[in-house]
Amino acid sequence: MMQVADSFETLPFLDVADPNFSIRSQAVLNARDESWCAKTPYGLAVLRYDDVLKLLRHPTLRQGSYRWPTHVGVTGLFARWWENMLLSQEGENHARLRRMANPAFSPKLIKDLRPKFEILANRLIDGFAAKGECDFIAEFTEPYATGVICDLLGLPFEKWRELADIAGDMGLALGVTYKQDLATVDAATQKIFDYAEELVALRRAEPSDDFIGTLVKANEDKSKLNDQELLDMIVLAIFGGIDTTRNQLGLAMDMFIRHPDQWALLAEKPELARAAVEEVMRVRPTITWVTREATETFTYNDLEIPKGTTLHLFSQAACSDPTVFPNPEFDITAERNPHFGFGGGAHHCLGHFIARGDMTEALKLLAQRLKNPRFNGDVSWLPDSGNTGAIKMPIAFDPA
Amino acid sequence: MKIDVDLTICLLHGQCVIAAPEVFSFADDGSLVWVTDPDEGLRADAEAAADACPEQAIIIS
Repeated sequence: MMQVADSFETLPFLDVADPNFSIRSQAVLNARDESWCAKTPYGLAVLRYDDVLKLLRHPTLRQGSYRWPTHVGVTGLFARWWENMLLSQEGENHARLRRMANPAFSPKLIKDLRPKFEILANRLIDGFAAKGECDFIAEFTEPYATGVICDLLGLPFEKWRELADIAGDMGLALGVTYKQDLATVDAATQKIFDYAEELVALRRAEPSDDFIGTLVKANEDKSKLNDQELLDMIVLAIFGGIDTTRNQLGLAMDMFIRHPDQWALLAEKPELARAAVEEVMRVRPTITWVTREATETFTYNDLEIPKGTTLHLFSQAACSDPTVFPNPEFDITAERNPHFGFGGGAHHCLGHFIARGDMTEALKLLAQRLKNPRFNGDVSWLPDSGNTGAIKMPIAFDPA
Repeated sequence: MKIDVDLTICLLHGQCVIAAPEVFSFADDGSLVWVTDPDEGLRADAEAAADACPEQAIIIS
């Protein structure tokens, strides 16, 4: 054990538990120059591209955030769901659930949704375009991200506010105040499960081949997907799709406001929208790190990593690693190595085809209709690590 | 049915191994191996794997 402690001793240290810690700070870049990984209060931070790529799918690592409720000493409705849903499962159980869920997230289903994304984006832009300003989060990214989920679930758009509030309250569970917020978190969790049950009852009465219909079909053989697992999966789709897309689109606008030439280029060449999504997620991902945990003691790059060690794979730092990205500046026309904004390996984001599709449509239309976007007041931000993004982003623009 | 994988874009996530374990697997050295001409009976599984591949690297012909 001494040897392990000694080998960690020589590593650079990053205080990721400090609320002021920034994943984009010089300290992170210095640590990345010095070593492939750094020591943190939680375990290790992996900083370089090749190591993140390898460790994302390393057989000795499992997904690492399943124990969060236990860490904060909380049980209840959210904790039960969190510990049992797809992302927290491993091995054969995970494979079975993933096989059952895959058809509902197929790229084939997304094709039908694309025109709906376009209608939704235009409808939201229509709501504020004439005044030449908006809060980009409250008036676009939040209703858009939630409206996409409404489309996916077959709910009317008017439900978006209610769903967004539920997701927001549930999201408190992933913050450090989970224990204090437990009553709010579990009340929201109860509401979302009530929703899921209603949706399932509707599709059982009237089968369909949409998202919920596909999952309900998988549930016909209860040994493959039981009733609780079906509901857990629907709740994951709702919860997992709202904050992530809301935050990622806000981060996209932040990048483009800082790179007006790139925005003008996107307006001129809408076919670059898909590449723009990838480039934004490379330089400014909302998921700034991916968590893994060692299931056994193992040696990697001559470092002995004890069983139970948490590894934070710094997707953002890895994707500006100069050995892989010699010209890391934001450029939507550049050919790039893949980013890690959707994680990777067995737990690669299930909803990525939807997310890529809806963000592509949104950026394409926004670039065409909002010219010269600029900040129009103070932007409020979530902390700069973990899952990040803007809470409020007043912008002004010239309506096209 | 013939199965090909574009290894220049494959990132070894292993989603195909999850979706169609009788067609795709990982070798001991971590590389991806697959049955190049599986039984027609495995078509649904193979197509599910091609669908699930995050990099869309699987080609079925």
